[in-house]
Amino acid sequence: MRRLVAAAAGAWFVALLAVPVHAQPKTVRIWQTETEPQTLAMLNQIAADFQKVRPDIEVKIEGLAWGDLEKKLTAALAAGAPPDASHGQPITCAAFAAKGLLRPLDDLVETLGRDNLVDAFRNLCRREGRYYGVGHSPASSVFVYRKDLLAQKGLKVPRTWDELIQVADALREVKDGQVVRYGLTMTGAPLFINIGVGELLKTNNGRLFDGKGRPTLTEKPVIELLDFYKKLNRVLPPGWTGHGYLDTFANLANGKAAMLYQAYGRGVGYIEKYAAKELADPAHFAVTDKVVGPSGKTPAAQLDSEPWMVFKNARNGAEAVEFLKFFFRDDNYIRYLHTVPIHLLPITKSAYKNPKYADNPTIRKWRSWVDMQEKYFRNDWIKPILVTEWDDLQKPYLLEVMGSGILVDMVMDAVKGMASPEAASKAQKRVEELLARGGYLKK
Amino acid sequence: MTVHAGAAARVRARPRRRLGPAALGVLGVLPALLLIAALIAYPVGYSIWLSLLDKHSFFPAERWVGLDNYVYLLRDTEFWDSLWKGVVYATGTTALQLVAGVVAALVLHQPFVGRTLVRALVLFPYMIPTIVAVIVWRWLLNETYGLVDYLLVAWGLVRQPIVWLGTEHVMTSLIGMSVWQFTPFVVISVLARLQTIPPELYEAARVDGASPWGRFRWITLPQLRAVLFVVILLRSIWMFTKFDTVWLWGEGAGAGREIRTLPVYAYMRTFTYYQAGYGAALAVVMLLMLMAATVAYFRLFWREEEAA
Repeated sequence: MRRLVAAAAGAWFVALLAVPVHAQPKTVRIWQTETEPQTLAMLNQIAADFQKVRPDIEVKIEGLAWGDLEKKLTAALAAGAPPDASHGQPITCAAFAAKGLLRPLDDLVETLGRDNLVDAFRNLCRREGRYYGVGHSPASSVFVYRKDLLAQKGLKVPRTWDELIQVADALREVKDGQVVRYGLTMTGAPLFINIGVGELLKTNNGRLFDGKGRPTLTEKPVIELLDFYKKLNRVLPPGWTGHGYLDTFANLANGKAAMLYQAYGRGVGYIEKYAAKELADPAHFAVTDKVVGPSGKTPAAQLDSEPWMVFKNARNGAEAVEFLKFFFRDDNYIRYLHTVPIHLLPITKSAYKNPKYADNPTIRKWRSWVDMQEKYFRNDWIKPILVTEWDDLQKPYLLEVMGSGILVDMVMDAVKGMASPEAASKAQKRVEELLARGGYLKK
Repeated sequence: MTVHAGAAARVRARPRRRLGPAALGVLGVLPALLLIAALIAYPVGYSIWLSLLDKHSFFPAERWVGLDNYVYLLRDTEFWDSLWKGVVYATGTTALQLVAGVVAALVLHQPFVGRTLVRALVLFPYMIPTIVAVIVWRWLLNETYGLVDYLLVAWGLVRQPIVWLGTEHVMTSLIGMSVWQFTPFVVISVLARLQTIPPELYEAARVDGASPWGRFRWITLPQLRAVLFVVILLRSIWMFTKFDTVWLWGEGAGAGREIRTLPVYAYMRTFTYYQAGYGAALAVVMLLMLMAATVAYFRLFWREEEAA
């Protein structure tokens, strides 16, 4: 009898083990910077579709403002609670990879196909032969101008820094003593001043650091850049230092400004929404090459392409990678790209070649904007923020330089009247001190 | 039975331990002490410890540097600059809040039709979230499409729009916005005290022929003394340590540097320079400054109280 009871209990226990247990799905937390409602909705849709395929993984997408991302990531890392995966600037990815905070993404790259990544962006976040980041979508900053207004005044499209100032001056319109249209608009947001410094310096054949990693802010191209900012300050709206990124789009779309230097493809959405209907097309809002500095020869633009990063200590890092593989599948990826068609360009060649990608009315209408960005990609005229040469991405301290705001202060000092060499020298000392304190540079 | 009786006797023989009043008192305050230790003493202690290290904000490496962060701070021009901006902001906003708050409270203390509604409306700025207040005011003050400049120009008060958010006026506009947001605290505090001043004092003064100014100077102001002391103390501490309003006002703009007060600078050192140790040193120095100012303020008040 006793044996019988024991056997029955054993059988019951085995049966219990055999019953499929519906475990709670693993939650993957993802931070990303595409906050336009339609993009967020699409990402959530892709996450929901993924969960149908992988019911054991739940993906939670959180949108963060672009300018806030680094601060929030840092705070989360300091608190020991980073998300599983996140967007980041290429320099953020480089800094995190150098500090051993990221999980290698070679498996994701292999799935996408190494050669399937657009050549210019294959090495956005690569360190010691391993991939630590894959850009979600590349875009280039663009210079937009009102073609009709230039034509009305018989002005030529500016090609150099000096011409830009002259044309901006000529485009300013005054009525009853009030300025009704400024020739040029630019944002004073610190992130974009950092972008502007890198981008404009590159067009002036300049650099921020020498081969040994020492800052080079007292070099001639930087001094010329600061002199240029002084001139810009005279033609920009008087409150430009307080204008945000979206303010400049609004200025351009509603006719308060005739040119926008640091524009992006997403500006098309603003133009279509806020500009007069008869004006909202590329015949009126045209794009052209970025202007070249006195010491430079070729234009340069900023590469806007946040790589996806997966944190090494992420609770569900492997699951995050599984989601990213699903996200980059052409059918999902193209749906995502089409949410902001002129800004979110493909990072995979297969998406480019896919006829579904080109089959979009906005892309057809604003083709010249896409072509301009592709021209910059092809010519290698684009670099990430604060990067003037691709090798700069190996410098693990660019994130600190950007976050410190020292370059922004340098520009503001110059704009407020400090002599350019003095402003540059002050910034040089501060960057040297920052790097020395961080152990990146010997005093 | 015998055993039980013996045990009972032993129990009776052992004197029952009772907690004395002192021990009971300690037990009573223990939860509060634990809470204070967890919420105040630990963070402050940790900040002090952190300030003695050279620590990256998110990288685990750290190095003992003793007082190096404090020595560095003394020759850090950005620190002195932010300290000065913090003093300007705290002094400007506290003074204006005090004047505006007392005036508003005096008006709201007078009987008039719709007084209850107006009192409720006056509290409104204090109730809305900072982020909302900042966004709305930044929008109103934008010099290209904002309502404020539009009206100023339309009414002929200025020829060109004032660039409220640019480098020249960003501190002024921040002070103005902060005064708008935080004055209701002064209004509530002063109004509550005004309502408890015995009306007989005013009647007697009237009989003696005191003018309205005389009544304010010799009755109202002395009666408000204690409440104004607390209001000045709290408001100046809160404005000196104010982070959210200042950060949001200047964040996202190059002009933000003109309002980089000490709390903002401490935050930047910690989370954008990634120097947690130095950021903590700045926070500790801020705490010490406030403690010193508070002690000095209390002494001054007590001395005047005794003299009175």
